[in-house]
Amino acid sequence: MAKARPITGLDPQAPTGKNARIIAKVRLEDLYSWESYVDNPYSIQELHNLRIAAKRLRYTLEVFEGVLPEASKSVVKELAQIQEELGSLHDSDVMIALLRLCLASQDSATSPDIVQSDANKHNVKGKSLVSPEMAAAFLDTAVTPSAEERYGLEQLLQSREQLREKQYSAFRQHWYTLQARDFRRETLEILDV
Amino acid sequence: MRMHEQFSPMRAAIDIGSNTIHIVVARSTSNDLDIVEDQVALVRIGESVNATGEISQEKAEATIDLLKEYKALAEKHGADPIFVVATEAIRQARNSAAFVQQVQRETGLTVELISGTAEAVLTFYGATYEVSKGPNPPAQVGVMDLGGGSLELVTARNMQITWRVSIPIGSGWLHDRYLSSNPPSYDELVVADAFLQAYFQGLRVKHHPPVLIVTGGSANSLLHLVHRAFKLEENQTQLTQRDLVRCQGLLSSLPAEEIAQRFDQPLERARILLAGALIIQAVMSRLHINEIHVSSHGIREGVLLAYERYGDRWLEVVSKSAADLNHQQQSEAPVPIIPEEQPFARSGRRMLLERTQKMVEWLKEVQKHEDIEAVHKMRVASRRLRAALDAYESCCDPKLFKKVYRQVKKTADTLGAARDTDVMLLDLQAQLEQAKSEEQAGIRWIIKRLETFRQQKQDELDSFLESLDEGTLKKQVESLIPEGVKSNGKG
Repeated sequence: MAKARPITGLDPQAPTGKNARIIAKVRLEDLYSWESYVDNPYSIQELHNLRIAAKRLRYTLEVFEGVLPEASKSVVKELAQIQEELGSLHDSDVMIALLRLCLASQDSATSPDIVQSDANKHNVKGKSLVSPEMAAAFLDTAVTPSAEERYGLEQLLQSREQLREKQYSAFRQHWYTLQARDFRRETLEILDV
Repeated sequence: MRMHEQFSPMRAAIDIGSNTIHIVVARSTSNDLDIVEDQVALVRIGESVNATGEISQEKAEATIDLLKEYKALAEKHGADPIFVVATEAIRQARNSAAFVQQVQRETGLTVELISGTAEAVLTFYGATYEVSKGPNPPAQVGVMDLGGGSLELVTARNMQITWRVSIPIGSGWLHDRYLSSNPPSYDELVVADAFLQAYFQGLRVKHHPPVLIVTGGSANSLLHLVHRAFKLEENQTQLTQRDLVRCQGLLSSLPAEEIAQRFDQPLERARILLAGALIIQAVMSRLHINEIHVSSHGIREGVLLAYERYGDRWLEVVSKSAADLNHQQQSEAPVPIIPEEQPFARSGRRMLLERTQKMVEWLKEVQKHEDIEAVHKMRVASRRLRAALDAYESCCDPKLFKKVYRQVKKTADTLGAARDTDVMLLDLQAQLEQAKSEEQAGIRWIIKRLETFRQQKQDELDSFLESLDEGTLKKQVESLIPEGVKSNGKG
């Protein structure tokens, strides 16, 4: 994800508390700009971006915790949980992409480059879930898995996909719990104190 | 022993602070104590709370072992009841309730988690009972209790508390945040001092007491150090600014191990003593005081006196007087680390430097290759620094900002590549233990490949960190926000 967008309207001589609130509100808007992807479990990049946005808001609230209301700590707690949930989801996405890459490279005589590009095709726009260096380490023809190892990898892929489904459901359920209590407005109200 | 005390009941009080756990066993009356046991051990629960927000199992177990010993000691003297109170570090920990239950279960002792104001009231009782029973008690007095995680400052007129403030800065806290090298480096000292000066400038002091009594482990250890190192007379309990400057010189030039050995200090205390000296000096400067009186009494003695004065309802009465004090002051909120009204550019200068310091202090740990958690912690510190850079971008010199940002991002990315692989490996190793035998070969295959890849990342990380010029980075960060900045046009 690109660098966080610079914040406009900050006066360097203004009280820290005032600017901290402006920054936190921008980061909150950034977080909600990814909201429409919550219902699509396979918007891998967008859910990853949502996680980064949650992390940025969390760190902003932590950086300025001394000048923000005490209640912002409860917001940090929820954000940490979202970050954790989406982090686990992302870890599963990377592992699934890696396992597919390993298995696909054994399926045919296709060249490793094509396999890698195919494995990443449905993942993220412009950026691979599995870095080219990692892919190279796994596509080395000198270290191909045996039939037994391959079976284990297939089982692992299957269980990881099931785990991912559970992880996504847990995140979505948490998101909707926050929606029900209007977490966005709740946060804005805390920042307006 | 005074005659009337021979028949006074024996009581015990234990306080669990963020640095120490302390017990006092005494024959008690409502205005005097005859102390028969006074022991302290440094457990530093605050260390784990600062790092993770929780009391670690290791610290919980160390505490419980010590409480069992203390309980036996109190029972040996026939003390009844045995009070246990817990302060800042326990209050802040996310798992405080579970900790209190665990203590109750394993020792049979009930821990009272007391509020900051109740702590201040009890400490005041304990620290002043000796002067208050003297022939000429001072009309105005201040009491400062410097703990590991916080500092409580109270002023009183005719021994009635008139004002109090709780400050979330303690010797352990300052050490962990700013002074973690051994001995602390010059750069660390400069940053810590700049922080304290800026912080205390923003503190509104309502009363300037002419007499200040300082209690807590750091103050008492500093007094001990001055007795040993600078030959202060044994019965002297006053410390001057000059004494503290001399302590600072000594503590910043010798490693903690040597301080501990030469001056008979527990090692853990020796490590945080410089932080304590800096904080006391900063408070003395703020109050325009040149001398402090060090008292070895505090919250524990306060608990015993309160019990004799108010009986079983002692905590209720103390809490009520604490609440009245809060009501009078309209606030128990601690003074924030950054004063809310402090100009943004000024808080930014300090914050960026502090975050940079926090990140680079993990360098040596990461380079040791002993603990993969160090990579994680340095990565988190680099992310927090990036968040602070993002927040203060509009005040920064744009060219320099780009340079610093790129460097920090590269640090985070390099650490991230290693850390992400560690997470995958940990995950797979956990799965391997639970996998069916026919699945294990595949997991082992992927673990082996990942370990080879992780080694490549370690080599890259080592060579990157080798090239990271800590001093230059800090200097650049120091210059990021120019004095008198208006805006760089980005904001």
